[in-house]
Amino acid sequence: MKKIEEIVLPEELRYSADHEWVGQEGDRARVGITDYAQDQLGDIVYVELPTVGKHIAQGAVFATVESVKSVSECFMPLSGEITAVNGPLSDDPVLLNQSPYGEGWMVLVKPDDPAAVSKLLTAEAYRARLKGDA
Amino acid sequence: MKEKMIMGELLKTVLHDRHASLGAAMVDFGGWHMPLQYRTGIVEEHLATRKSAGLFDVSHMGRFIVRGAGSLAFLQHTLSNNAAALDAGFAQYTMIPNMQGGALDDAYLYRFTPDEYLLVVNAANREADWRYFQEMLTGFPETKLEDASGSMAMISLQGPSSRAILEELVGPGGLPEPLKNALCTASFQGKTLRIARTGYTGEPLGFEFFLAAADAPWLWDLFLEKGAVPVGLGARDTLRLEAGLPLFGHELGKDPDGSEIPVFACPLARFAVSLSPLKENFIGRERLALQWEALKRIQDEDYRSLEDLPRRIMPFALRGKGIARTGFRVFQGVKEIGFVTSGTMVPYWKTEGEGLSTRFTGEREMRAIGLMLIDSRLKKDDPVEIEIRGNRVDAVVVPWHLRSDAPPYAMPILPRPTEVSGKAISGAGREKAFDLLAKAVRNTLWRQTECINLIPSEQSVSPMVRRLTAMDPACRYAEHRAIRSYYDADVFYYQGTDFIESVEILLKEEMIRYLGGRKVEPRVISGQMANAVVFSALVDYLNRGDRKKEPRRIGTVLNNHLIRGGHLSAQPMGALHNFVRIDPRTEKPAVVNFPVLPENPYRIDVEATRRVIDEHRPELIIFGKSMVLHREPVREIRDFLREQKIESVVLYDMAHVLGLVGPYFQEPFIEGADLVTGSTHKTFFGPQRGIVAGNWREEEKQYALWESVENRTFPGSVSNHHLGTLLGLLMAAYEMNCFRETYQQAVIRNAKAFAGALHDVGLRVAGDPAISFTETHQVIVEVEYAKAVEAARRLEENNIICNYQAAPDEEGFTAAGALRLGVQEMTRFGMGPEDFRTLAQYIRDVVVDGRSVREEVAAFRKRFLAMRYCFAEDMFSDLMEKLHRLI
Repeated sequence: MKKIEEIVLPEELRYSADHEWVGQEGDRARVGITDYAQDQLGDIVYVELPTVGKHIAQGAVFATVESVKSVSECFMPLSGEITAVNGPLSDDPVLLNQSPYGEGWMVLVKPDDPAAVSKLLTAEAYRARLKGDA
Repeated sequence: MKEKMIMGELLKTVLHDRHASLGAAMVDFGGWHMPLQYRTGIVEEHLATRKSAGLFDVSHMGRFIVRGAGSLAFLQHTLSNNAAALDAGFAQYTMIPNMQGGALDDAYLYRFTPDEYLLVVNAANREADWRYFQEMLTGFPETKLEDASGSMAMISLQGPSSRAILEELVGPGGLPEPLKNALCTASFQGKTLRIARTGYTGEPLGFEFFLAAADAPWLWDLFLEKGAVPVGLGARDTLRLEAGLPLFGHELGKDPDGSEIPVFACPLARFAVSLSPLKENFIGRERLALQWEALKRIQDEDYRSLEDLPRRIMPFALRGKGIARTGFRVFQGVKEIGFVTSGTMVPYWKTEGEGLSTRFTGEREMRAIGLMLIDSRLKKDDPVEIEIRGNRVDAVVVPWHLRSDAPPYAMPILPRPTEVSGKAISGAGREKAFDLLAKAVRNTLWRQTECINLIPSEQSVSPMVRRLTAMDPACRYAEHRAIRSYYDADVFYYQGTDFIESVEILLKEEMIRYLGGRKVEPRVISGQMANAVVFSALVDYLNRGDRKKEPRRIGTVLNNHLIRGGHLSAQPMGALHNFVRIDPRTEKPAVVNFPVLPENPYRIDVEATRRVIDEHRPELIIFGKSMVLHREPVREIRDFLREQKIESVVLYDMAHVLGLVGPYFQEPFIEGADLVTGSTHKTFFGPQRGIVAGNWREEEKQYALWESVENRTFPGSVSNHHLGTLLGLLMAAYEMNCFRETYQQAVIRNAKAFAGALHDVGLRVAGDPAISFTETHQVIVEVEYAKAVEAARRLEENNIICNYQAAPDEEGFTAAGALRLGVQEMTRFGMGPEDFRTLAQYIRDVVVDGRSVREEVAAFRKRFLAMRYCFAEDMFSDLMEKLHRLI
């Protein structure tokens, strides 16, 4: 397992306490799980993603990520409508381990509140929380 | 994402620091702080175990030592297996049953030394098991129980490379015998290691080690240095799940509703539960007996006792997407039939090729599999549905996920649609006929003119024998039986048989002349049948006093163990199958094996054999084997039987060495055999048949056994006894009696020269160098562990035909590291010691240097096309020509 200092947290992204990251892309937000989350889960072997067009409220489950040992639910960091999902993850869930902020992204969301992203944790605040956890 | 961490006062194994320094993710497991996975992760650890070797710290498991008077009675009472069947040097899987027929725990019972047992229990149950045993001990005041969990550590090394890693440390002699659950004690660098061929991964090669706790880090580091990959509890679970092995709390113990899972719900229970009378009224016996009866009925699709075993553990493979986890519900249509007991996604190495050519491609794949506790009426291939987060996903009942019967690898088994192989030739009958003829011509030319044939159980026949085999008798019947009213004259049931009758009489005379002895039964059509006839005859003989009761089988049999060259035809899994009794102590066929010399596993240890005979009083002793380098000690054992007045029937199965009977090898009847069996086509010159010979006089009591041999041949085993080859065999017997002196000496001289030459070119030749390695037609060359299949294939590509052979310390034929070579056929084609030296170099070229010598070997063979040790064809050229035209 990585030490907290080794966890990669890109500065341009925002984070939820439930270990999701959010990246603003115009009027859309891209969502995935953090480097910390993938490291804790270990080898990810199965991912279940929502259907496009579905509206999901903040805090509700939007995806399920399974490693060999565990099943983890992913909670929506902001309310909005799913406009795209990362299809290749179904065949290649290990992308979540290999590239959590790149090829391992999970969903694209149209947020109900355009300002919601900026209300999430900064990289610095998220890392501070991780230290508190650990 | 939610993460939970539970940390309290956790126990640490002696290797805890090692796990920390390897960067392991640690978890609470049964009160222990244990590695879940190391840096590479569960998937890599799982795959490394299957491809090379995984290293596990299993010191968290409970280790109890049982000793003192009453130990056996205590174990028989509290455990489900038959501890009385456990010989020193072996281990057995067992349950700790409760009165309800469920399991308090599952465990492994090890008996390293005769006076002490070691019971390994699950970590999470250690304290409860200990308290339970303490209670039970009140009934066994002289039995001592010691908790050695702290003083003794336990490490497991599993996977195809485990054997090589261990050999580097303790040497080849330091390993337990290549049998499941075999144990030994070795010492290395002044430390004592107890080694067991046990494990929890399904790997055919795997070892568990018990040693002083203080020495554990030393052994752990040594294994890591040698390349073993550390494996945490995560992969330990996926490996055991793939192997279909139960985990207490999932497949054993109580189900989520709190009711007992019957022990017999687990497929392994049939190996872990004994209902032997020796166990008297052990804990849980009554319920276990009911479950066992129910299971036997279920196998017959009789569901009257279903309430005793309503559900069973069965493996499933998920066909749809997702992962079926513990507790998920299983349906068949609308009916809920059970639940998943363990389930996850496991990795496996993809394979390509078929049969022995199956290889790992290097690519990996994942599959969602598991075990479920479902309605006992379901069978393999039945479709089921598993509910995953509200969705029903297709799954199928499979017989297993992994098989371990092709060491050194455990092979993944995937459910796949059965395919019909497309090897049949399409087209009309004429085309098929043409194709078959052309291929037969090609095959015969190849084997007879281009190949060096070195399979020790084969022989080419002379042109005369070959032609006679195809003559008219090949199309006929000649059943016959001695009739008492006619003073035992043979009466034939059909007309037109005068010729074959005379052939059979002459053949008996020739074979008696050849073998010595007094009687010959030539009607058996194979060596295997010859043995089966003898076993059947012995049962008949043993029951001759009272034929109204159920016949009893043969008492204890002494034979050569399969792994030491014994042949299937003398094993309970082969021809002995229905004829040997089950030993009530071991609940296995009552077969004991010839002990062998520690320095030469190919040679019987006579002194130790005397002790075995004295202890077991075998009713039948079977000499002879198919990996044979030495004479069998027939005379020594016969003398001992005489001295001790032990009445054993002594059978020498001379299958391989029938053509060597005489002063240069052995004379079985002079040395004291009662019966000789054999096949006529190995060192002997005949077409493929068998033979039985006996040496009793009519006035001897045991002559009745010979009469049984005749009766169990006809009408017992053959009706038509294949008269074409009978005719050929008579000619072969003429040849043998005429040329045996020179042939037998040439064979043995060639074998010794061949062995020496193979040794000289740098190959490892098995056996005793002091006698030039062999006293027979055979030479055993040790290539490399598990590499002989490949070596034999490459030799075949180079026109050298021999067979791969598992040496006495190897786990099975797929792990074979030796080649078995026989000189008899090429001796007949005129090869001499110098020629075998040339051949030895070709073999080295192919096996060691990877050179192609195909054309050179074919050219070499052209020098040896004329058959020797037979009558020259030109002596009777007219008759030979006539025979040829008659075919």
